[in-house]
Amino acid sequence: MSTPLDAIALEILRNALTAAAAEMDVTVWRTSRSTIVRELLDYSTAIFDAHGDNVAQSARIPQHLNSMSTGLRTVLRDHLPLERWEDGDVVITNDPYCGGQHIPDILAFRPVFAEGQRVAIVGTLCHHLDMGGMAAGSYAATATEVFQEGLRIPPLKLVKAGVINDDLLAMMRQNVRRPDMLWGDLQAQLASLAVGEANIRKLADRVGATTLTEACARILDGSERAMRAMIGRIPDGKYDFEDFLDDDGIDARPIRIHAEVEVRGEEMVIDLSGCGPQAVGPVNATLASSGSAVSYAVMAIADAEIPPNAGCYRPVTVIAPEGSIVNARHPAPVANRIATGHRLATTLLGALHKAVPGRVPAAYYGVSYVCSFQTIGEQGERGVLVEIEVGGSGAHDDTDGLNGYTYGMHNNSNIPVEMIESELPITLTGYGLLPGSGGAGRQRGGLGLFREWRIDSAEAVFTANLERFKHRPYGLEGGEPGSAGALFLIRGGARQALGSKVNNLRLMRGDTIRLETSGGGGFGPAAERSAAAQAMDRQLGYLAA
Amino acid sequence: MSPDPFIRIGIDIGGTFTDLQILDERSGALRSLKTPTTPEDPSIGLITGLNEAATRYGFALTDIRLLLHGTTIATNAVLERRLAKGVLLTTAGFEDILEIGRHSRKDIYGLKPHHDAPLIPRDRRLGVAERIRGDGSVERAIDPTSIAPLLETLDALGAEAVAICLLNAHVNPAHEQALAQAIRAACPELPLCLSSELSPEIREYERSSTTALNTLLMPVVGAYLARLTGRLAEAGITGRLLLVQSNSGVCSAEVASRQPARLLLSGPSGGALATLRMAESLQRPNLLGVDMGGTSFDICVVHEGSVTRMTQGEIDGLPVRLPMIEIRTIGSGGGSLASVDDAGRLRVGPRSAGSRPGPVCYGRGGTEPAVTDANIALGRLDPRFFLGGAMPLDAPAAEAAIVSRIGAPLGLGAQQAAAGMLAVTDTNLAAAARLSLFEKGLDPREFSLLSFGGAGGLHAIPVAEELGVPEVIFPADASTFSAFGILHSDIMHDLTRSRVMPAIEDNLPRIAAFLQELREQGDALLAADGVPASERRFNVSADLRYRGQAFELVIPWEAPAAEPAALSTLLAAFHAEHARRFSYSNTAAPVELVALRLSATGLLARARTRRAPGLGADRKPEARRIWLGDAWREVPVHQREQLTAPVSGPALIEEEYTTIFLAEGWRCAPGPDHTLIARRQSAGQTEALAA
Repeated sequence: MSTPLDAIALEILRNALTAAAAEMDVTVWRTSRSTIVRELLDYSTAIFDAHGDNVAQSARIPQHLNSMSTGLRTVLRDHLPLERWEDGDVVITNDPYCGGQHIPDILAFRPVFAEGQRVAIVGTLCHHLDMGGMAAGSYAATATEVFQEGLRIPPLKLVKAGVINDDLLAMMRQNVRRPDMLWGDLQAQLASLAVGEANIRKLADRVGATTLTEACARILDGSERAMRAMIGRIPDGKYDFEDFLDDDGIDARPIRIHAEVEVRGEEMVIDLSGCGPQAVGPVNATLASSGSAVSYAVMAIADAEIPPNAGCYRPVTVIAPEGSIVNARHPAPVANRIATGHRLATTLLGALHKAVPGRVPAAYYGVSYVCSFQTIGEQGERGVLVEIEVGGSGAHDDTDGLNGYTYGMHNNSNIPVEMIESELPITLTGYGLLPGSGGAGRQRGGLGLFREWRIDSAEAVFTANLERFKHRPYGLEGGEPGSAGALFLIRGGARQALGSKVNNLRLMRGDTIRLETSGGGGFGPAAERSAAAQAMDRQLGYLAA
Repeated sequence: MSPDPFIRIGIDIGGTFTDLQILDERSGALRSLKTPTTPEDPSIGLITGLNEAATRYGFALTDIRLLLHGTTIATNAVLERRLAKGVLLTTAGFEDILEIGRHSRKDIYGLKPHHDAPLIPRDRRLGVAERIRGDGSVERAIDPTSIAPLLETLDALGAEAVAICLLNAHVNPAHEQALAQAIRAACPELPLCLSSELSPEIREYERSSTTALNTLLMPVVGAYLARLTGRLAEAGITGRLLLVQSNSGVCSAEVASRQPARLLLSGPSGGALATLRMAESLQRPNLLGVDMGGTSFDICVVHEGSVTRMTQGEIDGLPVRLPMIEIRTIGSGGGSLASVDDAGRLRVGPRSAGSRPGPVCYGRGGTEPAVTDANIALGRLDPRFFLGGAMPLDAPAAEAAIVSRIGAPLGLGAQQAAAGMLAVTDTNLAAAARLSLFEKGLDPREFSLLSFGGAGGLHAIPVAEELGVPEVIFPADASTFSAFGILHSDIMHDLTRSRVMPAIEDNLPRIAAFLQELREQGDALLAADGVPASERRFNVSADLRYRGQAFELVIPWEAPAAEPAALSTLLAAFHAEHARRFSYSNTAAPVELVALRLSATGLLARARTRRAPGLGADRKPEARRIWLGDAWREVPVHQREQLTAPVSGPALIEEEYTTIFLAEGWRCAPGPDHTLIARRQSAGQTEALAA
């Protein structure tokens, strides 16, 4: 049946593409093996046109989605041109310098053929439990080169015309700590791509390859139009803001993140030239990462619902000098690129607050609190726990921030205490809100959290990549900043403060690690907070004792 | 002297109407009735309905033997937060679990996400200094001297109900029980709920949420049931009252007032039960039930003769960790509103006009066109015969709204715009239904679709066409169909033991102990319900996963026994199900048992039913102009009550509360049990998207 491509047919095709991405999403969720994918939900799926522009996605993680297009376009342009993708191929890469973000994220793509043409590409991104390198979880806080961060896979065909490349797979398995998990989660990615490919192929068979291609173009154009209209409603001008990363884990100096947002009619130029130079430690971002933060911030301030796809980003130009922290040069380490991603997002939102006051809240905690433990038993048996925690969100001009709420660039679930205790020799000794951590203000910032892990195995190794221990989440319009984060080792009753970046710290039985995450910034002067709100804060114990 | 009571009544109380299905168990005669719901106290409308039914169908209230009652009282109390002032006791150091939740958000870009305050605020969550480890051993016992101050605090806080949810209580409930004992001794009347009794399953947030919901509902549901039983007694009704649960079974009023969270998703449960009964009576083991009303579209799946259930549901964003029928709901119904955005995009739903102001054609002040307006504009609904003619509709107003709000911005004529609204709606409905099957690895071509709800008839066949489902069944009394399902339910208790352990022969003794405990508990509960041993049925299932997975599959265990052979059978079923749903299995990988479940069913006597003649419309067959494809066409309009021979589409079939649209290429004939069955005349005529 041939469908005339009016607004109705277009909406129907758009829904079909979105449904395909949703079915891919369900497939990853239900078939993956590792807790990082399953309980932390650290994965995303998307449908791309033949140029690598994403036209539909499943809503998971901002840090992933906007970057998958960048990654795919880089692969198509520099490594594997489209004409070399055959039916049944699956191309994978995790190389930050080939369009990826950091080593644990494996991007996997599969082409869709219809009428002999390559009409679309389906893609998934999964954060894998471990990809080798100097620290478990491939999250080394002290890496100074990407080579230390794990096995790098350039864009290669893991599957050729439907046949698994066993050589590549054997090579990968040999270089990671949990080959069974790697293969299990890769199989989930392959299953998801198969579902996506079948759906899009049927869609193309139904409406014709030309109609599908035209629909993709129209969907991108529609979002571009909506984005231009949105930008057009923002007053022209230049708006800038700066925020800081504490350090890179090697060098103690703070790193400046600066953005100047220029609004010109229906376009936006985002100049990141004021950002610091690339770091020695692993907080560097490649363009795929930085672009995600820019896309997130621009999408987040939209005053109308805009279908998220690559068309949204056309009216936005990013200037990021090579060799800077937001566009690192090979072989800079990048494992903790999310640190810069979060800070770039809070910086951009700070600048955009000046452009569209009333839409943007004070800073959220702005850190993916990644803590990983490797337990080692008497007989050498090992277990791995990777946790990602959150803090408080920033206050708006009319509402308080949210307590312990996943916000901004990431979107993860926590791991149930009981699940950890049933599987690993670790006992949680506390998990709760941190009174007093929300920035004071007319509207108070949301509260950060504390979480405590006690080691019950003979020994353990602990690694953490944290931030905002010095530079607190900013308040707006006179609101106070949220609290600084903190990390402690409690050993024999004595409490010792740790830095924000910890690499392979040896722990003994009975040692406890305590994490305190930042609260969000406040909005407006604290003196203007209503008596009723203050009374409620006291009643609920939201303030410091 | 009246004979033994012989009337069985199924009652489904919805937002607008209270639906009754009345069965005379002696003759099998089945009748239905609708009466307005009385939202301030639904038991008033219920009694009114019983009186009307008794008068109209000639029985005495004392003839009522069994009253099966579906209620949204618990659901509405949660949605409107009309809940008791409760206190949560939890492990010290973990008081904020209920507020922190599981973090993950649904709207990834929104800077100002909607987030409700926790069910129990921070000052009413009390930490108890105690700790049980993951293996059930006690790390820190409860200090007996801490109990008295705790009781004083409960008193000072004015607790109306107390929830107890301690860490790892699903493994070892001793501390929860000790606290409960102390509180019961001091305040015997205070409603109390233990997580280890209600939902003894791993994952503390989900268990806390379930326990808190249940606790805060206990006084609300308890008060309703007390009022209801009072009114029933006043009316001289001595028949037995049973309440519909979310799990497809019914329970006693005593269980319902103790564990009201089990009623939370009972609303759509009636429809699912009815779907299950139809699957049995029509011998359609694979049946997709779709219920489309004014604001929502509910989907349930009967596969191989069983309705799919899940171990956890959600209400208003809050997890409920109790077994329930799996229902996918999307915000799409007759009242769903259409609009065109800045980018020229046509959207339909999830915004809804509801019943006030309702679609434009209702003439109650609605200005934005809704799906019902599109059906009116295309002639599919007869404006003179809506709700059996009780409510005349304003067709010109509907068309004018479609022209100005949809047609003009898109450059389309009135009919093209209306047809577009319906096409977008139907594909949305089909996508949701397809996802329900897809998640389970099921193929729509192997299913029949059962359509009910007031708005279902107009959309079922286009949705089936889109899905690739070859057959659509329209039951009799589609608008009181849930009550029909309720009429045929059984008593059901769901019991669980949750412990993560390798599913290996070494653990058979522990499995044996669990099986025995579950069976004894199930027997005791059914005995308390007065179910004779011969009418008790026990179904065991196991939650299994590969080690490392954080999500379990519930595998029915056909012949449960703590023996190596039975365990192998169970594991083989797990690998097979895993492969079916997830496209791979790994027989070499270690498998973990996370929970054992027992459904204890008490069969209520099955009654044969035969539908008594309805009040049906006495209208003459006619023809009407409807918009099809790109032109107006004259199509026959049949009256369902008068339909005796097959008819071909395009056609409309009208009945009192609903209209069926039979598309071209479909043929519809009367089926068993007063159903209508429509089939696609030649499969392959239209390529299905879903296939």
